Amino acid sequence: MHLGSRVRAVALATAGVLIVACGTSTSTSEAKASPDKQILRVNDGTEPNSYDPGQETYTYEAAVGRNVFEPLLTPKSDLSDVQPAAASSYDVSSDGLTYTFHIRTNAKWSDGQPLTGQDFVYGWQRLLNPALAAGYVDPFFDQSVAGGQNYSNVDPTDTAAVDSFIQGLGLSAPDDHTFKVQLQHPAAYFKWVATLWVGAPIRKDIVEKAAGGSFPSTDATKAEMWAQSKDTVIGNGPYKISEIVSKDHVTLVPNSNYWGGSGTLQQIILYFIADGNTAFSKYQTGALDQINVPIADVTVVRGDSTLSKQAHLLPELTVFWMTYNTKRAPLDNPDVRMAFSKAIDRDKLVNDVEHGTDKAIESFFPRGMNGYDDSDKAQSFDPTAAKALLQKAGVTADQLNKLKLLTRNSTGNKTLNQFIVDQWNTNLGLNMQTDIIDSKTVTRNIRKGDFDIYGPDGWGADYPDQQDWADIFTSTSCHGLNFGCPTLAGYDDLVQKADTETDQAQRNKDYAAAQKILIDQAAVGFIFQQYEYDIWKPYVHLVQSPFDDEYLPGDQNYHSGYILQH
Amino acid sequence: MAVIAGRPTRGALLPPWLVAFSGTRGGSLAIFVARRVLWMIPVLFFVICITFVLMHLAPGSPWDKNGGRQLSQSVVNNLNIKYGLNKPLGVQFLYYLWNVAHFDFGLSYQYEGQTVYGLIASGLPYTATLGILAFLVIVPVGIGLGVLAALRQNSRVDYATMGFATVAASFPNFVVGALMVVLFSVLMYKWTGGSFYLPSADFGLDQHLIMPVITLALLPIAYTARLTRASTLEVIRQDFVRTAWAKGLSERLVVIKHILKNSLIPVVTTLGPTFAFLVTGSVITETIFNIPGIGRAFVTSIESYDYPMILGTTILFAFVIAVCNLVVDILYVFIDPRVRLT
Amino acid sequence: MALADTALERTDWDVAEQQIGLWQDAWQRFRRNRLAIVGAVIIVFLVLVAFLSPLLVGLHILQSPVKQNVEFIESGVGQNGFVLGSDELGRDTLARLMFGSQVSLAVGVLVQLIILPIGLAIGLAAGYWGGRVDNLLMRFTDIWWAFPDLLFVLVVVSVFQQRVGANVIADLLMIFGAIALVNWVALARLVRGQVLSIKEKEFIEAARSSGSAPLKLILKHLLPNSLGPIIVTLTFGIPQAIFLEAVLSFIGFGIQPPTPTWGQMVNSGYENIYANPSSVVFPALAIGFTLLAFSFLGDGLRDALDPRMKR
Repeated sequence: MHLGSRVRAVALATAGVLIVACGTSTSTSEAKASPDKQILRVNDGTEPNSYDPGQETYTYEAAVGRNVFEPLLTPKSDLSDVQPAAASSYDVSSDGLTYTFHIRTNAKWSDGQPLTGQDFVYGWQRLLNPALAAGYVDPFFDQSVAGGQNYSNVDPTDTAAVDSFIQGLGLSAPDDHTFKVQLQHPAAYFKWVATLWVGAPIRKDIVEKAAGGSFPSTDATKAEMWAQSKDTVIGNGPYKISEIVSKDHVTLVPNSNYWGGSGTLQQIILYFIADGNTAFSKYQTGALDQINVPIADVTVVRGDSTLSKQAHLLPELTVFWMTYNTKRAPLDNPDVRMAFSKAIDRDKLVNDVEHGTDKAIESFFPRGMNGYDDSDKAQSFDPTAAKALLQKAGVTADQLNKLKLLTRNSTGNKTLNQFIVDQWNTNLGLNMQTDIIDSKTVTRNIRKGDFDIYGPDGWGADYPDQQDWADIFTSTSCHGLNFGCPTLAGYDDLVQKADTETDQAQRNKDYAAAQKILIDQAAVGFIFQQYEYDIWKPYVHLVQSPFDDEYLPGDQNYHSGYILQH
Repeated sequence: MAVIAGRPTRGALLPPWLVAFSGTRGGSLAIFVARRVLWMIPVLFFVICITFVLMHLAPGSPWDKNGGRQLSQSVVNNLNIKYGLNKPLGVQFLYYLWNVAHFDFGLSYQYEGQTVYGLIASGLPYTATLGILAFLVIVPVGIGLGVLAALRQNSRVDYATMGFATVAASFPNFVVGALMVVLFSVLMYKWTGGSFYLPSADFGLDQHLIMPVITLALLPIAYTARLTRASTLEVIRQDFVRTAWAKGLSERLVVIKHILKNSLIPVVTTLGPTFAFLVTGSVITETIFNIPGIGRAFVTSIESYDYPMILGTTILFAFVIAVCNLVVDILYVFIDPRVRLT
Repeated sequence: MALADTALERTDWDVAEQQIGLWQDAWQRFRRNRLAIVGAVIIVFLVLVAFLSPLLVGLHILQSPVKQNVEFIESGVGQNGFVLGSDELGRDTLARLMFGSQVSLAVGVLVQLIILPIGLAIGLAAGYWGGRVDNLLMRFTDIWWAFPDLLFVLVVVSVFQQRVGANVIADLLMIFGAIALVNWVALARLVRGQVLSIKEKEFIEAARSSGSAPLKLILKHLLPNSLGPIIVTLTFGIPQAIFLEAVLSFIGFGIQPPTPTWGQMVNSGYENIYANPSSVVFPALAIGFTLLAFSFLGDGLRDALDPRMKR
């Protein structure tokens, strides 16, 4: 997931998995609370824009989507591979073009109906419908599913064209418990696409009932009506929605028909509190059980003997960097870009400005994910070397002072970028400035290539595979995800090779070589990997392990959590 | 606006029964109200116009995400088609007006599939409750303090109340609100071990309302008190009050009958802007106390370029303010004997 | 805070024909008003601070308001050598407070300077020409009045912010302009009322019959007589503008860093209220005292300049 701004207060409180102990230092023989007390109240941060999993693109939405719906597969705890979820197993054809998923025979929807392969066909067809304009369709689905490559050419108002496009997609259900997908090309990462929450199954009869009958495929409004009331949001996940109070909270209760059995938690209430102070004060007065600690209050938590014991620093598969517009001189010169990258004291940033809630990084793939490799220290902090590079490039301070650091108008971004500009000014002897404007306009500017330097730009893994990351910097992603548009010799070929490669060891090597190109050419300046500093009450027992799939966007595994007696 | 009449109405062009009707006080009031209500329509039209133009002047687009994965161009194109944003602006504007005339305020861009009407309807009760409660606190407290200070002019009571009023009007109310939360919520929770404290956020028809209402009402109370004091002083000094005093009526009668009624005039004037202030004040209060009202929804809709929602909330606010001003002007007719309706 | 304006507008300002001695009289009464003097003193002090702070930085008596010391983020009062503590990037709070006075005073004063010509022009036009023009202009102000001011400013700021970019002066002017645009109505109505009451005086009729241009006459009589209420209106407008800037910064739409403004400081101080409460209290006090000072000054001016109030 592309993260333009560090949505600190919005970041989800993750339900981590502690192999060792629960919460503080309670023994494992602590008794669970009675069922009527098994209520967990967390802060989701922002209200989901939709409860339709196909329309959910943000972590705070996927938090609900991943619990109410279940996709075919799910990542393993150590993120090394996938494991079965709604599908008990899957086969890949020898040419790598056909995936056959076997749906669990005991999988049911929350209303008791059995889960069928047809539900997945309908879900994926609806997702790929151009009239719906679902955010996550590209590139995961339209560039993997056979027939999807025509997605951008179909006129969403032409019913016949849309219908024939959808029928032409490589999706089928040969029988009730099978779901078959044809691919455009071999893709070793496709198993990860199958773990995305947007690939959830959807019940055609429910969609049509809510819309008042069948409707033309071009009517997107009708296609969304089912997601507006809790009574019609029927999912196949471990939980279902029992209450939605607009702008306030959503309540989840166990789905008694879930194949994996009911968890202990009887109620999970996700609040939409955007203001950090409000969330923190509610936590302190016992009105919330788990929150993400607002950055401003990190020192308070650390300094408080009670609160500090309830705090946990959890890693995320999220990395941030500064984007240089390589189409503008002098940023087209890799030496200049490298100079900027080497003029940022990352340790000061993460330890002082971020109060130790993030970790510095100079490479691309994050810690905890296959492919993490920090051996290339080319971008390390070294002001002397940086100045030397500038001299070598022959740029003057005057030229550089004209460059502006485009900044989104949010507290976290403003603070961070003022620090970074100050670093450049101090370490390179410059006088640059930040350009702070409203967030939407920033996005428009970077998509048009109308900026000098922009940051912090970031990416959060959609799934723990390098493919999800490396595609960002291909030349075809220029102005789409890759706003700086650097020309990197050999990068595109390497990535393309790795994307279609089936041998994992070879893939790893190819992606590693691609990462080296990124670092050495200073395509962007990598600064830090985001961690999450959460607190939760000692009576909240959440199963947690490092780099679990819990840290993928929107993942909240409440199924194994419970409340202790207190 | 009610002004002192200078010329007679142009009766020649109106039907005789209307002229006769307008001669009576009730009749002229009815016509006045009718004219002002009709006048609200072009006012709202211009408000929509200006907001529409301004909104679309902003260079960003609703589909540019603040964070998270950006949408691909094909998806953006499809979205524009879905919501009619690919049509020329003038056409969009006309479509919008047509829909508004049918009370269809469109779908929100931010919350897929939800209607603007539904979103506003769900948030309005919270904002309205707070606003009305604040108002019910402002009027008696503000007027009461002001009259008290005027009657005891230059005494300690006067300095105390006016001091409080001025100070309350000077400090940003959001700071006061935030400090109240720290003090009465978190710290009290700590000091009393969780047994006695005010809830720090959320809406509830109980002690949850105390701090938000205070935050909202503080500034208007201060202004109302100061104005009431000033106008009460003016009235007290006038001759007829001295006469009433000399007649020996009990002080209370004098106060109530003469002073209050006359000193209410400038205060009633401020009630309209007070409501306007409560509208904007709700934005701050709802943010601090996490209340799901429309004040906060308005700010987020601006940040997310949710055009239908921006227009919807603007229309609502403008309508409420226009109605309040009308009510104020009607009240004027009854309170200020100098006022005649044109 | 449009509350004060309409009360002033409704107050029936009597147009004094005798101007000689009014100013001396006013000054006398002003001098006796202790609160007004206090207010004036505070304002003078603020102006001094605003002008002298760059000098103090140059003399190294005061730390630079933009120098970051990230090792000392969010220091409390007196900690780490910061007299009033430091902010979220380790910048000296005292220095930022002092430099912030520049922006606050600028917001207050410049906004009124923008309002003055607009309000004067429209009020004059409406009062002088009367009839259709008056009607039209008053309806125009009605529309403006119906616009919730925060809404308008928010939309204007978000529209124009990106066009302005990193240009600090342009950024400031845009915010000032937006605030001015929502607050000119009171002045316009006041001026209109003044013009109308002047028009009704007999000497105007007399002058007209004798052939001299009424506009010049009105101007000649308007300005000196209305100066009092206009000054008072403008004075009460200053705290309004400062407050609105603080609210804008609180929501995140105001003047952007690194230019220090009190509103911004309250905004980031609010987020740090548990870690470092003084970071929100000091700028709030600064705003508070400034608003107080201008309120006292305004009260004092009104009492001094109103010919009917006898002490």
